[in-house]
Amino acid sequence: MAVKIKTKKGLIDISNGVIATVVGSAATSNYGVVGMASKNAIRDGFDGILNRANYKRGVVVKSEDNEITVDVYIIIGYGLKISEVSRNVQDSVKFSLKNQLGIDTRAVNVIVQSVKVLDE
Amino acid sequence: MVLKEIDSNKFRDMVRVATHRMGRNAEFVNSLNVFPVPDGDTGTNMNLTIESGAKAVAENTSTSVGDLTESLAKGMLMGARGNSGVISSQLFRGIYKATQGMQTLNAQELANAFSNGVATAYKAVMKPVEGTILTVARVAAQEGANKANETDDVEEVMKAIVEGAKKSLKTTPDLLPVLKQVGVVDSGGQGLLFIYEGFLEGILGENFADRYQPDKGEMDEMINAMHHQSVQTQLSTQDIKNGYCTEIMVDLTADIPDKKQFNLEEFRKHLSEIGDSLLAVSDDEVVKVHIHTEHPGSVFQYGSQFGQLGKIKIDNMRIQHETIVNDSEEKQESVDFAVIAVASGNGIRKLFESEGVNRIISGGQTMNPSTQDIIDAIKKSGAQKAIVLPNNGNIVMAAKQAAEVSDIPVGIVPTKTISQGLTAMLSFDPEMSVEDNVTSMTEDLDTVVSGEVTQANRDTTINEVEVHANDYLGIIDGDIQIDDPDLIQATVAMIEKMLDEDSEIITVMFGRDSTKKQADQVVAKLKEMHDDLEFEVHDGGQPVYNFLISVE
Repeated sequence: MAVKIKTKKGLIDISNGVIATVVGSAATSNYGVVGMASKNAIRDGFDGILNRANYKRGVVVKSEDNEITVDVYIIIGYGLKISEVSRNVQDSVKFSLKNQLGIDTRAVNVIVQSVKVLDE
Repeated sequence: MVLKEIDSNKFRDMVRVATHRMGRNAEFVNSLNVFPVPDGDTGTNMNLTIESGAKAVAENTSTSVGDLTESLAKGMLMGARGNSGVISSQLFRGIYKATQGMQTLNAQELANAFSNGVATAYKAVMKPVEGTILTVARVAAQEGANKANETDDVEEVMKAIVEGAKKSLKTTPDLLPVLKQVGVVDSGGQGLLFIYEGFLEGILGENFADRYQPDKGEMDEMINAMHHQSVQTQLSTQDIKNGYCTEIMVDLTADIPDKKQFNLEEFRKHLSEIGDSLLAVSDDEVVKVHIHTEHPGSVFQYGSQFGQLGKIKIDNMRIQHETIVNDSEEKQESVDFAVIAVASGNGIRKLFESEGVNRIISGGQTMNPSTQDIIDAIKKSGAQKAIVLPNNGNIVMAAKQAAEVSDIPVGIVPTKTISQGLTAMLSFDPEMSVEDNVTSMTEDLDTVVSGEVTQANRDTTINEVEVHANDYLGIIDGDIQIDDPDLIQATVAMIEKMLDEDSEIITVMFGRDSTKKQADQVVAKLKEMHDDLEFEVHDGGQPVYNFLISVE
């Protein structure tokens, strides 16, 4: 499945892998996000922090018309305000998709899959 | 007097002043916000975050600094808003951890607290981006730690922290390209600096909070940022709603009739109704205002009710914006085969452009462009090949040098006058090679005789012509041939000398220092004697030469 954008000159097809990379990069650049997590936590191991190549396992993209809905699975550092870090992720994911791919986002759902205790 | 420790009262002051200072400058911080998401809310977010922390501190009656840092950290955590808010909450979480249980803080402990704050803050980020609030916090803490090794004066340590933050903030545009591109410092870093400055003022015990006055540098920075914002948000010149960037200073101490009582809040409120990007700061003596408005006059009128107007400045932002837009359009234009001409005067530029010249280098008799100027023009044209028309004997060499070092084939047509340049352009054919164009364009140069009329600046004798200062000189193909105190007579006499039996068309370009009427007089006199000639008159607008004449 992929996002299709209709333009005057023809169709642009952006694969989910591309979107997942953009979403994953945007999400992990946020302060407080210490990793991406797998959407399938039980199969992939609950605390597993995904590496860059696996970001798409932590991103679910659903597209309708020219808009998409994204689910992002993340791990947040302990001691941070989870609601706010999540909101920052929503903002930056939405911004990056618009800025880099020209895609409007209907919703960015953030699922905090785990909290990592950082040594203090 | 050396201050050896911070007690709970001092700490309360620090938090209070810092919060106030952050609040006052929130809008300014917002205006800098371009990273990571340019949504212009960093200042608001940091302000809400620190306010939430300050509230928690105010509610805590403990006399132990450790208890207060805990309240501050918890309050900031609960109230954290935005990336910068989350980061600062984490910074203060680290500070709290390092000061747990302490009654007071000495210089070393204060420095350690900041260092631990930075260490904690860096842990919660996967990819620390340098040039952000984190960098500013780190350098500041480092400077504080260095100072604490030298002195046990907490004031000195806090000063070093502020200085470190300032220094580091200045480097943020070099570290983070997006900041450089927009020309601002990092917004979160600036917010943190305001907080740290507030801490310092709290320690110094001066009541800066209610009368914070940005210094000149800060004010200029703010204004730059404001300008920036309007350029960012307004894509086309027509979209600029408030066209005049207006700045005034009002001297509130001046005695004027019917003087109104000054109130900054009211003042701001009134001005915000007649413009945007408003900045108004004041102390007891002076208020400084920066505003974008359509009605600069009403700003002056309103301001002058409270005192005497000092410095006044108005810029037309539409013109500024057009210039920016034009400049960037110029850079984008690129052609396969460019013709570059050296010329001065608007009219002459237009003549060249109408003939198909892509790029004009400003220059001529009194301001010869350098080889580098010509190389730059060739580069900017983005073309695969180019022809240069120097249009002045003194520039031909520079143009040849430029052609030699250029990466693309460049041909020089050795035009020595504007007239020759204009004539040469008639033979230009973009479909032909550079060499063939140079040959055909150069061939035509012989068919044109160029005349220039200008004023002598001293007495001399050249080519057996006696020249008197302030007389008008007729120069034919580079040789002075005519000297006459009357402009019209000198010009007519010169043209007479240029004519032969093959002459058909005479082009007269009048310059900046002469008029169309004078050109018409010249033409009328010549028509009396030669009814077979055709005349063309153009407004060349060139400096130095009253008339440029070509005879073909």
